[in-house]
Formats: sequence, C-alpha cells, structure tokens
Amino acid sequence: MLIKLTGGKVYDPAHQVDGKVTDIYIRDGRIVEGQHDGEKIDEEYDLRGKIVMAGAIDMHTHIGGGKVNIARMMLPEDHRGDLVAHTEHCRAGCGHAAPSTLTTGYRYAEMGYTAGFEPAMMPVNARQTHLEMGDTPIIDKGGYAMLGSDDFFLRMLTAKQDQNAINDYVAWTLHASQAIGIKVVNPGGINAFKFNQRALDLDELNTHYQVSPRDVLKALSRAVHELGVPHPLHVHGNNLGVPGNMETTLKTMGASEGFPMHLTHIQFHSYGTEGDRKFSSGAAAIAEALNKHKNISADVGQILFGQTVTASGDNMRQFANAGHGSPKKSVIMDIECDAGCGVVPFKYKDQNFVNALQWAIGLEIFLLMEDPWRIFLTTDHPNGAPFTSYPHLIRLLMDKSFRNDTFAKLNLDAQAMSTLSSIDREYSLYEIAIMTRAGAAKLVGLHDRGHLGVGAGADITVYTDQPDREAMFAKPDYVFKDGELVVRNGQVVKVTWGSTHTVRPEFDRGIEKDLKKYFDRYHTINMENFKVRDDEIAEGGRGKVIIQACEGRREKSE
Amino acid sequence: MSALTFTLKTALQQRVDLSALTPDQLAGKSKADIAAILLPYGRKQLRVDDAFDLHGEDTANIVFANSDAKLDYIGSKMKSGTITVNGDAGAYLGFQIDGGELTVHGDVDAYAASGMSGGLIHIHGNAGDFLAAAIPGDRKGMKGGTVIVTGNAGDRVGDQMRRGTLLIEGNAGSYCASRMLAGTIGVLGTVGAYVGYGMRRGTLLLTSKPVMHATLQDCGAHTLPYLSLMFKSFGELPSKFAKIDKNRVQRYAGDIANDGKGEILILQ
Repeated sequence: MLIKLTGGKVYDPAHQVDGKVTDIYIRDGRIVEGQHDGEKIDEEYDLRGKIVMAGAIDMHTHIGGGKVNIARMMLPEDHRGDLVAHTEHCRAGCGHAAPSTLTTGYRYAEMGYTAGFEPAMMPVNARQTHLEMGDTPIIDKGGYAMLGSDDFFLRMLTAKQDQNAINDYVAWTLHASQAIGIKVVNPGGINAFKFNQRALDLDELNTHYQVSPRDVLKALSRAVHELGVPHPLHVHGNNLGVPGNMETTLKTMGASEGFPMHLTHIQFHSYGTEGDRKFSSGAAAIAEALNKHKNISADVGQILFGQTVTASGDNMRQFANAGHGSPKKSVIMDIECDAGCGVVPFKYKDQNFVNALQWAIGLEIFLLMEDPWRIFLTTDHPNGAPFTSYPHLIRLLMDKSFRNDTFAKLNLDAQAMSTLSSIDREYSLYEIAIMTRAGAAKLVGLHDRGHLGVGAGADITVYTDQPDREAMFAKPDYVFKDGELVVRNGQVVKVTWGSTHTVRPEFDRGIEKDLKKYFDRYHTINMENFKVRDDEIAEGGRGKVIIQACEGRREKSE
Repeated sequence: MSALTFTLKTALQQRVDLSALTPDQLAGKSKADIAAILLPYGRKQLRVDDAFDLHGEDTANIVFANSDAKLDYIGSKMKSGTITVNGDAGAYLGFQIDGGELTVHGDVDAYAASGMSGGLIHIHGNAGDFLAAAIPGDRKGMKGGTVIVTGNAGDRVGDQMRRGTLLIEGNAGSYCASRMLAGTIGVLGTVGAYVGYGMRRGTLLLTSKPVMHATLQDCGAHTLPYLSLMFKSFGELPSKFAKIDKNRVQRYAGDIANDGKGEILILQ
C-alpha cells in the first residue's frame, strides 16, 4: 500500500524544512523515500496549497489515572452539559473539562494531534492509567511515573544510599509502570503534607525524612540522566500558584546542578509580589533564566477563560486552593499511602484580576522565550483549560492584533500590570511546528515521531492555510495516523488504536531484593502484581507497546 | 389565538426529551419550523410531527394532549408562558424552570421541579421520587417558586431543597426533606420513615406526628404568629393549603446531627 501526498507545503523542523513544497510517500505506516521501480501508487492526495506537518504531540495532558476519574465522578454537570452523539464511526461520549476516554481520543485526532502524554501516573495506579489510555482511541500515549514523595525513595535519601541504588530504583519503576519518563510533583511536599506541613520551599526539610526538595530534584534529575532516559526529569515545582513563587522557580532551575530538567506548567510558578495586590508577573525574569539555562526546558500551562477542573497530584497546594473551587466542591485524598491527589473545579474569569494576569503571564513566557525547542504549548489540560482550546491559543501566539484585542477586554488592573501589549513577537508556522511536533518528540524521546523524515511513523496532519489560525488548527483537512487516514475535514473517518510509548533502561535487578521486602511489609499489593505487563496494555491486540531507545546512556557513578 | 397543542399520536418505544418545546424556545417560530424540530428519542431522534399532531398557534400557551409517562423534560428551563399537560408526564418535569405556569392533569415521574428557581408547577395527580430534589452532582434542589401536588409524592421529596414552597396535599414517602438546606415543605397526609434526615435548615409542615429518628429533638408546643402570615400568603393558591388557619404547632428541631437548624412543625 503506497500513499502519495502531492505538492503540500511542508513544515518539518527536525529536518530544517520550512515551508518547502515536497511530496511525501507512505508505505505500510512509515514515511519512505519514494516508489520502487514500477510500483503503483494506491492512493494520492492532492495537497497543493495545503500546509503539511507531522501529527502534533501533547507532552503534558491529564488523560488518564485516578484523578481524571475522580474529576469525572465529581462533575456530572461537566458531562451532562456537553453531550456528544455517536456518529457512523465514533461512539457517543461527553465531557468538556474531563471528557470520556473515547471523546478525548476523537477530539485530539480531530485537532491534528496524534500523541498525548499523561504526566502524573502514580506507579501504583499505572495499571488503571494504562487501561484508561488504552481506551483512548487513535492517538499514541505514554505516561510519566510519579516519584519523589514515595516512602521507599525518601527512605533511600534519608539513608544516604548511593546514586547507583537510586538509579536502579528509578529504572525499576520505569519498567514496572511502563512509563516513558519520571515526574516529580511538589518534590517531597506530598509526603510532607502527611506530616502536617502545609508548605514546603526548595530548601525546607520534610520534618519526618529530613530531606529537602532540592535533594529530591538533584537525585532524580541525575538518575534520569545517568540512565539515559531521553525525557529529562519532569518537574512540577514547589509552591504552585503562590504569589512570589518565581524565586522558588529560579532557584529550582539551579537545583539539578546542570542535569537536564523540564519545568512543567511554568506559568503557575512565575508569580511575583509587586503591586497593590501583591500579585505580579514574573514572566520576564523566568523567561530570561530559561533563555540562560540551556539544560532547562518548560511547558507553559496557559490558562484560558471558562469552566474547567484542576486535577493534580499536589495535594498540598490543592488543599490550599480548595476554597476557591467553583462549583464549590473538591476531593483531596491520599493514594495508597504513596502519593496524593487533589481535584478542584475552577472557573477562570476574564474580569478577575488574578485570572486575567495569569493569562497574560502565560503568553508573556511564550513570547519572551527565545528558543522554541525548549518551550512547549500546553494548557496543562484540564488545569489551565481543556485541550480543545489549543487552536485558540495558537492564534493568540501567531496573531498580535488578535492577542492585543483580547487583552484589551480583560480586567483593567491586570492590564496595567502586564507588558504583553508591548511585545511584538508573532510565532511562525515553523515555530509552532517546533513547539508542538519536533521539539515535543525530541523532549519526550519519540525517535520516530514528530518529524517527516524517511523511516518516521506516518503521523501527518494537513491544514488549509487560513489567516484565522484558530479556524485553521481547529479543523485539519486530513490527519493520518500510522499511514491511515483517520480524520477528514475535522471529522473522524476511521477509528484506530494508538500505541503506548515506553523506555526500558538497563539496571541491576538486585534492587528487587530490597523492594520485595518493602512490598511485603508495607504495600497494598504484591511486588509482582505491581508490575504492568505488556499483554495488559496490548488488550487483545488493540494496543501495542513501543520501547523507545535510551540513547546517550551515561557511565555509572563512582 | 388558540393554544399550541401537541397531541401525541404514536405509541412511544423510548423516552423523549421535550426540553425544546417551551414557550420561550418556540416564540416566533412557524408551525413548519416547530414540526421539523428533532427531539432526542432514546439513541435516535424524532421529528415533532412524527410524534405529535399540531393544532393552534399561540406559542405562549402550550398544551400536550394524550400525554405519556415517557415524555421527559417538559417545561425544562422555561421562563414564561404556560404549559398544560393532559395525561401523565415523565421525569424532570419543570427542570430548572424559572417562570411561567406548568400544570399537569396526571401523574409525573422522578425529579419534577428539580433545580426550579421560579414560577408555579401544579400537579393534579401523584409525583414520583426526588420531587424538587437535586439531580446527582448538583448541590441544590429546588431554589425558588411554588409547587403544588394534589396527590402523593414519592421518596426523597425536597432533597437538598434550597428555597421556595412545596405543598403536597397527599402523602410523601421516605426521607422527606432529607438534606434540606432551606425553604418550606408542607404535607397534609403522612410521611414515611426518616423524615428530615440530614436536614440542615428549612421548615417542614405536617399535620400528624410521623415516626422520628433519634436526632430530631422535641422543642415543645408553640404559637407562631408568622404561620398566620404564611397561610395568608397561600390564600390565592388553588390548593387546600389556602384554607388552613392555624398557628399552634408542636416544634421539632433537626437534624441535630447536621446543624439542627431545620424545623418540623406539626399542626395541632
């Protein structure tokens, strides 16, 4: 089966292709050089005048795991307020902020996304997370395993165990939970919450374990790097949402001591304390520091106005925010004594000073960050806004007058506190392709995705070039997933089931001796049952595990 | 102008969502437009004129004739005008209704008057469970307006009710006024077990003493002048409550396991 995509204007930053008219050939789900001699073209798509990019990749989106289900259970109004009827190809579903799994997959594909990564997969919840993602059609997926507040790891730190042992534990966790990266949420803070601490700064000690978030970040970022895991440590820092937390964020950038680190939803961590209301934008300082620290990357976690729900493993901060919930309800809970979870519904309002400034801070970071390879387009779905608002966000980035018009309608006090209207930058299509495709694939470690080179998986999105970028990105003409046409004119025409991406770094299995003892004594399940097997993900042939290479493995520590 | 009348002409296999057929939503629409509206029908859709014969043209006054218990969401979110139902009605009658009058000559199913914030619902028949209660996930049931039921009501009447007046001339089932937040419920007949369970505030008016669970506290007999004012305010209503003229009651406070600011008043 050979498919030819003829005459499209291609944006493929991984190969420095910036709008060059090129033909693309797809054979059996992969991009190939061209026809063999005498080979017949089975299908041809005339893409003259169209924009061609790789399928987009959302590197941080909460689409699976316990907290999403809690959000669904807690917000029946979110579901009955947004019903989707079944079509010829798709099953019925519902949900605006926390959509059902099927609807999540369809909506991503209909926006030209072909992969999404769940950033807060508790290892003990990994099975449920994978089952849920396995029910999310079309797109590829993967998860970052959450470490850093679990007792086994904190005991290792307290006992000052050497880095090799920590590396083995991190690698074991990646294997057991079938993850592609490691995430740390409020380093050590989720655990400290259980010892009645209600805030934890970077150098403050967990009263029980006597370790600081800095110790956690240092050990984990180094472990991830030494194991050769492509995705750097994924960090949700301390003090999320607290005015003045930009100082913590700036210090956090140095905490990994040069090892690569990804700071997620950095907008929520870029607040100053200037002005009458002691809440101001720290975007300029944060962006400057990001520009300087080449080992640090970030995704923005842009907020957009409207009803959504915040779902996070950071129960310390969610506990503090629960009073702001709208509608007024929340769930703050422990999960299996190994981590936490907080779900608080939230409505961002454009006439609210804080919300309007949060909106501006996110955009300031986007626009002041010089290197599009180290900044990523997210709303921290659903925390800042549902992922369906990405086309709107892209227009805000690409269209200065639209951005300024929107800004001019916001809370006046917030406008006075932001420099947004003085920033002239507009993102180009090439830069959008970096942020949402090439850069994201490189960051997550998807070697055969996010680009259109020979050998890549044929995840391809085709748009009509329209001046209204929101309309353009909301409704692609064609989306191909592994070479199959899944979306035409923004409508799903075929439902496929994507793969699950993982990494499997080498490690010393000797760690299982200690782990087995720990599991037998403290855990809710047996160690062997804790491990998620490939055939559970494969689910009768529907899903598939893809192991991405751990390239760049470093030598072990002394 | 004669009232716009929808006469049901088919035997329904599935439940039908009639939330599209309210005076507010039909105002200014031609008969052909109305006939072409698609109503959710189970997992399919049904054209209005496939289900109903249409007569009359006054969209401010709507009549459902030959009505059936499979017709859900009658008068949903209506703000003005009148709807008269001749026959039974399904679930969610007057869901989030904010104004106007809704009269049913027949029985209605569960969740009638849920989320109601204004207007009048008059049910000449029996009401199902969860009358004026909050649907799952919502924090408040009825939030305003008046409901009169001439027959009996099912279980969980007024669950999480927040404001408004709910008058039942017959009996009410178990858990009457459960988790009630505020407002007034009157029952002339009997009520079932666990009356006022988890009641936070609000008033439940009864005519005979029900079986009470342990966390309702007897506060003695009182003469309450405000009751005379309240019954006077019912004077215009087409209900037996309009004829009551008493203000001597036995007062019970509760549910004292949940704040205890609610009151159950039993007329003497």
